[in-house]
Amino acid sequence: MGHNIANPVSRKKFLRLCGSIAAGVAAASISGVLLRRALTAQPRYFWQIDPMKCTCCGRCATACVLPVSAVKCIHANKVCGYCDLCGGYYRTNAKDLNTAAENLRCPTGAIERKFVEDPYFEYAINESLCNGCGKCAKGCNSFGNGSLYLQVKRDLCKNCNECQIANVCPSGAIMQVAYDKAYMLKDA
Amino acid sequence: MLNAVKKSATLSTRILRIWATLPFLFHAGVAGAQRFPKPDFESGYKYPELYYAIPNESLWTAVDITLLAALMSVVAWAVIKRRTRAPVVVTSVISVAYFGFFRSGCVCSIGAIQNVAVALADSSYVIPPSALLFFILPIIFAILAGRVFCAGVCPLGALQELVNVKSYRLSKALTAALSIIPWIYLIFAVLFAVTRSGFIICRFDPFIGIFRLGGDIGMIVFGALLLVAAIFTGRPFCRLHCPYGALLSLFARVSVWKVKITPGCISCELCHNACPVDAIRAPYANKVKESRAQGVKRILLYLLLLPAMACAGALTLRVASNSLSRVNKDVRLYDMVAQNEATPQDVQLPELEAFYGQGGTVEELSRRAATVEADFRRYATAAGALMGMVVGFTLIGLSLKRTRKTYEINDAACVHCARCFSYCPQKK
Repeated sequence: MGHNIANPVSRKKFLRLCGSIAAGVAAASISGVLLRRALTAQPRYFWQIDPMKCTCCGRCATACVLPVSAVKCIHANKVCGYCDLCGGYYRTNAKDLNTAAENLRCPTGAIERKFVEDPYFEYAINESLCNGCGKCAKGCNSFGNGSLYLQVKRDLCKNCNECQIANVCPSGAIMQVAYDKAYMLKDA
Repeated sequence: MLNAVKKSATLSTRILRIWATLPFLFHAGVAGAQRFPKPDFESGYKYPELYYAIPNESLWTAVDITLLAALMSVVAWAVIKRRTRAPVVVTSVISVAYFGFFRSGCVCSIGAIQNVAVALADSSYVIPPSALLFFILPIIFAILAGRVFCAGVCPLGALQELVNVKSYRLSKALTAALSIIPWIYLIFAVLFAVTRSGFIICRFDPFIGIFRLGGDIGMIVFGALLLVAAIFTGRPFCRLHCPYGALLSLFARVSVWKVKITPGCISCELCHNACPVDAIRAPYANKVKESRAQGVKRILLYLLLLPAMACAGALTLRVASNSLSRVNKDVRLYDMVAQNEATPQDVQLPELEAFYGQGGTVEELSRRAATVEADFRRYATAAGALMGMVVGFTLIGLSLKRTRKTYEINDAACVHCARCFSYCPQKK
C-alpha cells in the first residue's frame, strides 16, 4: 500500500473537484448555446396586442397585474372617419346624441370629442381615465373604421415574464414582440 | 326652437352620411375595415401627432446586470474574505429597493429558470439576454463562492432577511419532508414551461404583490403570511419553496471558495444557534454500529432501489399527464370547442367567439391539442422519474450518518447571510 488511495479526505476533495468541473462545464455550455442564439436572432420581449386578432372581450381591464390596466385604447386618427355618429363614442341605442353619460359608450368618459368642421369630429383618448375595457374599440370595429383599438402602453407595462392578460386572452391576441416593434400601430 | 332646427339639421346630415356609407358597410367583413371614407377637410385641419413612449429597455437591462454582478461580488467579498455582515445588509436594502420596488421584481433569476427551460426545449424561442444572464450569473457565482445570490441580492431573500428577528427551528423531520417541495416545484415549473402551458413560478411569486403594492388578493395574503413567518423563522420561502435555491444548492456544494468555520473553534454553539437556515451542523457522534463495508453495501442497495422509485414516479405522472395537460390553453380551448360542437350554445364564451371568428377549424385545433398532450405525456414521464429520484436521494441522504468532530457548514443550505460571524467569539 504505497499510495494511500482510500484516504477519505483526498477522495472527498477529488469528488468535489470533479463536481466543480462538471458544474462549470454545464453552466458554460448552457450559456454558450443560448447566448449564441440570443445574439443571432432578435428576442421577443415586449408584450403587445395584435389589433387584428383582438376581440375586445374586456379582460384586459381586469386581468392586468396593475390596479389600472396597462392596456389603453389608442386612436389612429388617419384611419378614423371623423363621424358625428361614432360607434365608439355613442352607445348602440343611445337616446340622444349628447354627452350625457347614459348615451356614451365609454364607462369612464375617457373619449374626448372636438368639433373640427361640419360634419367632422375629432376623437381623442384621455389616457389617465381609460381602463382598457375595449368597449369603444368593439363599437368602432362593428360600426366604424376600427380606428379605436387596444394596445399595451409600454411606459405603463411592467413587462412581466408571463403576462397575466395573455393567460386569459381568448383570441391569443397578446404576443411578445421585438424591442424595435414595441407597438402594433394601425396608422404607422 | 332654434335648437330643434339645429338638431334636425345635424340629424339629416347624419342620415345622409349613413346612407352614403352603406355600400361600404356591405363590403366590411373583417373587423375594422375602412367603412367610412377618410374625410377631406376644408378648414386646413392637421392630423394630431401622437407619440407613444418606449422605455429604453436595453439601458435598464445593462443597469440590472451590472448591479446584479456588483452586488454578488460585494457579498462574496464580505462573506468569504472579510467575514462580516454589514455589507450583506446594505446589499439587501439596495436589492429590495431596486430589484424589488423599483424594477417591480421582473425579470428575476427564479423566474428565468422557465425562460431557459423553454429555450432549451424549443429552438425557435429566443431567450431575452437579460433572462439568460439573470439565470446564469448567480450560478457562475455559486460555482465560485456559493449561494451569494441568495444572501441579499435576490430581492425575495433580502426581504425575508431584513424582517427576520428570531430563528425558531422547525423539527428535523418536518424540515426534511418540506425540503423536497423546492425540487417538486422546480420540476413542475420546468414541465409547464417546456409544454408552453404557463410560468407557474411567476404566477405564484409570493412577494411580487408587495413589491408592486397591489395585485391578486390571494398572492398578497400568501406573501404577507410568508413574511410574518419570516420574522420568526429564517427565510421560509428560500428554504421550503424556492426552486432556484434548490438549483443553486447543487452548485454551492462544489463551490471553489466556501464559508468556513473559524479556525480554532471552541465549539461554543453560538454560530449554530444564530444560523437562520440551519446550515451549521453540530458535532455528532454516530452510535450506529456498522462497518464501512456494510455501509457501502447498504447504500449500494438503496441505489439499486432508485430506479424503482423513478419508475413509480414516472408512472404516476404519466397517468396524471392528461389532467395536467388541461393547464394548457390550447387543450382547454379544444375541450370548450368539443363541448360546443356536441351541444351548441346560444350564448358563446369569448374564447369560442374568437376561435370561430378567426376561422379556426376543429381539425387543426385538435391536432394542436394532441401535440400538447403528447408533449405532456413525454415530459411528465421524465418529470415523474426525476421526482422519484429526488425522493430517493433525500431518503438516502437521511440514512447517511457521519461522525462530525467539529461544527461543519452545510454548503448546500448556507445562504451566506453572515449572521454567524458576529456571534463567533474567536474572531479578531
